[in-house]
Amino acid sequence: MKRYRLISLIILVLQFAACDELFEYSPYVINFDEYETDLNQKNIDRLLSGNVPDTITIALTGDSHRFYDESEELVRTLNNHYDIDFVIHTGDIADYGIPRQYQWGNDIFSKLKVPYFVVVGNHDLVSNGNDSYLEMFGDYNFTFIYGQYKFIFINTNSREYEFNGKIPDISWIEKEVIPSDDFEKALIVFHTPPFSGDFHPELEEPFVEALTRHNNVLFATHGHLHSYKFSYPYGNDLPFVNTAGPENAQFVLIKIFNHEFTVDVHGF
Amino acid sequence: MSLRWMFTGFSKKTNQIIRFVVLAILLQFPVFVNADTIHDRKGDKLLYTFLPDYYKFQYAGGIGFVSAGIGYGFFNERIDISYFYGYVPQWFSKNDLHSVSLQLTGKPIKLNPNDKTEFYPLNIGIFLHHTFGSEYYIILPDHYPEDYYWWAPGRTGGLFIEGQLKYKLNTTGKMFSELGLYYRIVTRGIYLTSKFSNASIPLEDIFSLGLGIVIYK
Repeated sequence: MKRYRLISLIILVLQFAACDELFEYSPYVINFDEYETDLNQKNIDRLLSGNVPDTITIALTGDSHRFYDESEELVRTLNNHYDIDFVIHTGDIADYGIPRQYQWGNDIFSKLKVPYFVVVGNHDLVSNGNDSYLEMFGDYNFTFIYGQYKFIFINTNSREYEFNGKIPDISWIEKEVIPSDDFEKALIVFHTPPFSGDFHPELEEPFVEALTRHNNVLFATHGHLHSYKFSYPYGNDLPFVNTAGPENAQFVLIKIFNHEFTVDVHGF
Repeated sequence: MSLRWMFTGFSKKTNQIIRFVVLAILLQFPVFVNADTIHDRKGDKLLYTFLPDYYKFQYAGGIGFVSAGIGYGFFNERIDISYFYGYVPQWFSKNDLHSVSLQLTGKPIKLNPNDKTEFYPLNIGIFLHHTFGSEYYIILPDHYPEDYYWWAPGRTGGLFIEGQLKYKLNTTGKMFSELGLYYRIVTRGIYLTSKFSNASIPLEDIFSLGLGIVIYK
């Protein structure tokens, strides 16, 4: 009998020791720490506090889903071997949209030495993921100006909103691309591309029209399709870069210089 | 108790009604039956048979900040089937959360340190958990193509291991004969599949703890 009790006690102690955040009330409880909130704005502030180099170098990734080990490898590679200014993640950082996956995703990408920005993906919006995104990253649609370039991030996941006609917000993007003294070229970042079945079919034309109207969009970049592709689906004025995800052991390196850019896909 | 509860999404109004009914069931049972007269009347005897074998009240464990459950024991109390209603107040999250869960517990090891005490050091359980609200759907809504998402946010499930102590109380009546205390270590399918093939996810991140008391009829 004594032996049983000892074994039970050992099992009990081991079980307790295995827990970090000891008590969980629901997988849908959103209770992020301060360092896990408002990250896009914090990273904008961090980026803009430094000097803008002549050539801007950006690493693109996205669709990290549950490829945590691969994402970690990507972060290590970028930290150790590349001189970049910031990273853009084109969405789907939380595969099931649950708070825990938002935290795991950020735990990994926040190890980057440089700021990183996340646009919302369709997976990020499942269950109460919409609230988690707002809490962790901030507004779905946001912009910042770095040097002469305006980076415009927009939620294009129409299907998650039952194609209600409001996603993407056409009037918002029309307003944001209007030329001004503050920037020369605009770069558009979104998750679901307009030629996808998950993009509102009636908004495809107005969306593309908005991006080409002023002939000032350098390129658009997106995720959702899980493989690298550089193409001109809507004519020569609007290049599209489909980012490579960590699952392909690839990322995309963009260099911007003098209103022109180069695109390269790198393995890791 | 209809299993349909676990497998269908509900409107907000229906949710309210279900919550009310579940609470009403949980609350009325102990009050409804007069312990002194249970074995005197045929009707009460029948009622006593169908009374839940126990009432559980749990803290955390992934099914609510607090949750209340009822259930029955089978096979000499080696198998428990329990049904819980759980609540997370807004204080702890962005929104409050209401949920139900159905649990199956196996209790293979039973020790008797003394006449009044039973100790179950290693119970093993599985559970299904449904959170109310249209965003926690069980059936993929119509605006998605078939199999667009493979999991259902309204039907998560998981596993737990549990340790339980059970004391015989010195009551003269037939009701509330025993009191149990338990802890449990819980993990869920959505955490296990996230951890799968990912050494970078800390093992402790996919486990959490629950504590509870059981009152036996």
